[in-house]
Amino acid sequence: MQTEATLAQADVSELELVKRCQAGRTDAFDELVVRYRTRVFAMIYNMVHNEQDAWDLAQESFVKAWKSIKRFRRHSSFYTWIYRIVMNVTIDWLRKKQVKGTGAEFDDSIQLKEVDPASRTLPKADPLPHERMQRGEIREKIDNAIKQLSPEHRAVILMKEIEGMQYHEIAETLGCSIGTVMSRLFYARKRLQNLLRDVYENI
Amino acid sequence: MKTFEEKWTAWLDGELTGKELEEFEASLPDRAAAEAEKRAAHKLGVLLKQELGTEVLNNEEFFSHQIRERLARDACAQDRHRTRSTWWTVPRLALSGAVSLALFLVCAVFVMHDKNPAEQSQYLTQILNARVDAAVSPNATISIFETKEDKVTVLWVEGLQSLPADYAAK
Repeated sequence: MQTEATLAQADVSELELVKRCQAGRTDAFDELVVRYRTRVFAMIYNMVHNEQDAWDLAQESFVKAWKSIKRFRRHSSFYTWIYRIVMNVTIDWLRKKQVKGTGAEFDDSIQLKEVDPASRTLPKADPLPHERMQRGEIREKIDNAIKQLSPEHRAVILMKEIEGMQYHEIAETLGCSIGTVMSRLFYARKRLQNLLRDVYENI
Repeated sequence: MKTFEEKWTAWLDGELTGKELEEFEASLPDRAAAEAEKRAAHKLGVLLKQELGTEVLNNEEFFSHQIRERLARDACAQDRHRTRSTWWTVPRLALSGAVSLALFLVCAVFVMHDKNPAEQSQYLTQILNARVDAAVSPNATISIFETKEDKVTVLWVEGLQSLPADYAAK
């Protein structure tokens, strides 16, 4: 439920909200969370393919953002800055998971068990059964294809294709050169084209 | 100098313009195959956007609520830590003071002890004086020189007519 203060902030600029956050106002940070929570969650979900992990990582990212907001110099947009934190948190998590070698990332049964019960209290509008099955199959193929990419390649392709970010924004977010971004995009696209050709050719 | 991968990516995304675009397209060995690849890449982009771009966050308000709770908890923990730190400062200061005082006393005793090396010599002199009979050797003087590093003590005796008979034995 939105408070009156939150509603009053609807027209407040992002820069002003950042300034208020830097002055220690949590209500301003709450407004920034409202603005970015869905995009941040979706981006992480597409990287890790697990609702509970995506939820936790998104929370972790926002808490880290709050703790370091005083160091944000406003040279870039808040959007790029928060995405940088999100990517650092998510890529670190994926790397640790790969090092541990639990294989949990490829185990669908674990994903179902790990879903936060609270996250299902508001169900999505269900499509028709045959549509759901078809969509489910396509989604599974895409998820499996993305899982075969490295965390950095996943990040680049998702930021470009889903978020529509520019090369320089992606480079800033990942802390690498524009050339590296373009090169990673090249290989990520090639890989996904090979893995998903039968899917996108039949749509 | 851009690599082939960079130019290809820029070409797919429509970021190559002017002379760079002409040169790149002229360098392609099979233009038709490249165009087909470009179309395929666009289809892939559309598919990803269509399938992955619709992900929604359920329970948005619960998500925000959890963050608010965490921030409040962290703030409380920080406050408690700060309070505890202040409380601990007083005993820590007292302890530091006591340790400093003890160290000072140890050093002071050591230095004073060190600064009075004559104490041992005086004791020796007193013994010697007691053994020298003033009536027999009225002009006798006894001096002691000591080099601590070498652990050498020189006893300089003048005007002594004879050493007490029992001194050498002791």
